[in-house]
Amino acid sequence: MDIRELKKQSDLSYDIAVAKRNALEKAHSRQVLAYNGNLFRADPQTICLVRTLKETNGTFFILDTNNNPVEITDADDFLKKLIERNQEALNTYHQMYETFTRKGE
Amino acid sequence: MMSKGVLLFCFDTEYTKYHKILERCVTLIKKNLKVEITVVTDFETFNKIKPLGFINYKFIEPELGNTKLGKTWKNVDRHLAYELSPYDTTLVIDIDYFCFTDNLLELFDTEYDFLVPDTAYDLTGRNTFDLRRWSMIPMVWATVLLFKKNDKVKKIFDTVKYIKEHYSYFTKMYRIYSTNLRNDYLFAMALQQINGFVGYEKMPFALPTLPSDCEVIEITNEGIAWKYNDQISCVENQDVHVLNKEIFDV
Repeated sequence: MDIRELKKQSDLSYDIAVAKRNALEKAHSRQVLAYNGNLFRADPQTICLVRTLKETNGTFFILDTNNNPVEITDADDFLKKLIERNQEALNTYHQMYETFTRKGE
Repeated sequence: MMSKGVLLFCFDTEYTKYHKILERCVTLIKKNLKVEITVVTDFETFNKIKPLGFINYKFIEPELGNTKLGKTWKNVDRHLAYELSPYDTTLVIDIDYFCFTDNLLELFDTEYDFLVPDTAYDLTGRNTFDLRRWSMIPMVWATVLLFKKNDKVKKIFDTVKYIKEHYSYFTKMYRIYSTNLRNDYLFAMALQQINGFVGYEKMPFALPTLPSDCEVIEITNEGIAWKYNDQISCVENQDVHVLNKEIFDV
């Protein structure tokens, strides 16, 4: 057992963990989306809520990131923008994640 | 049409060449945000700034007297942002906040009167900024502010001015242990007061921040690399607030 090798592995694991955490935070920041003058987070919760509400209602209200009620009149457009932003952020995160995986091997 | 732009404050001190930091900050804003920029500065600093293309300048004599770690710190003029901004919607950014993305552009497309972030994210993974919990009120990071010109926001800035005049009283009242004047504290107290002590609207993200014990070793147009504890790390295409001001020669 080479203790230096173990320490090196430990340092590398720490570096990867911090870089992964930063990349995830970057994805979260990127998911903030302005729509109809309010800010929303293009996260799974918002996407699912909009999709569910749009099945039964033409227009509906949801809360923005500051808990203000916002009327959504074009749900298709809103959902499209939410999904686009969500996938853009996660695609970038995935690319970063791949580099971490290669580093750790 | 409503005008929008970025307002920056920049004053050199005998210890720190803030104009060098400004030059990097402006380059990134032009590249990523692509909005009009106004720099509030003094003639002494202005004379050292290299040509940066089309930028508006507003000249003031910065108020002196504040210090940080025993060194001159010309940061007490932020309360003038409302009067100095030529825009209907203004994004005030500290010049040590580097916009490597266009994320802040989203804020311009909103109807909020005033937005400020209330959390910072430590890029070194140590959660350094979770320590600011002594005070009786939530803190904010006045590093990035968005405001519109209207009566309500004017009153916010008037409150900031009032609290600045009675800073010692208010910091004691809110149990804020501060030896110098910090805009973060000023705005936190003012927002608490003017919003009826019940909270206010915030930016829905944490400011990615590099603590002051990180040595910045490289800044490019895409990202920043730093050294901490003999380990080198970097981020790309992510905004970064750099607390170590020894970055002007990087």
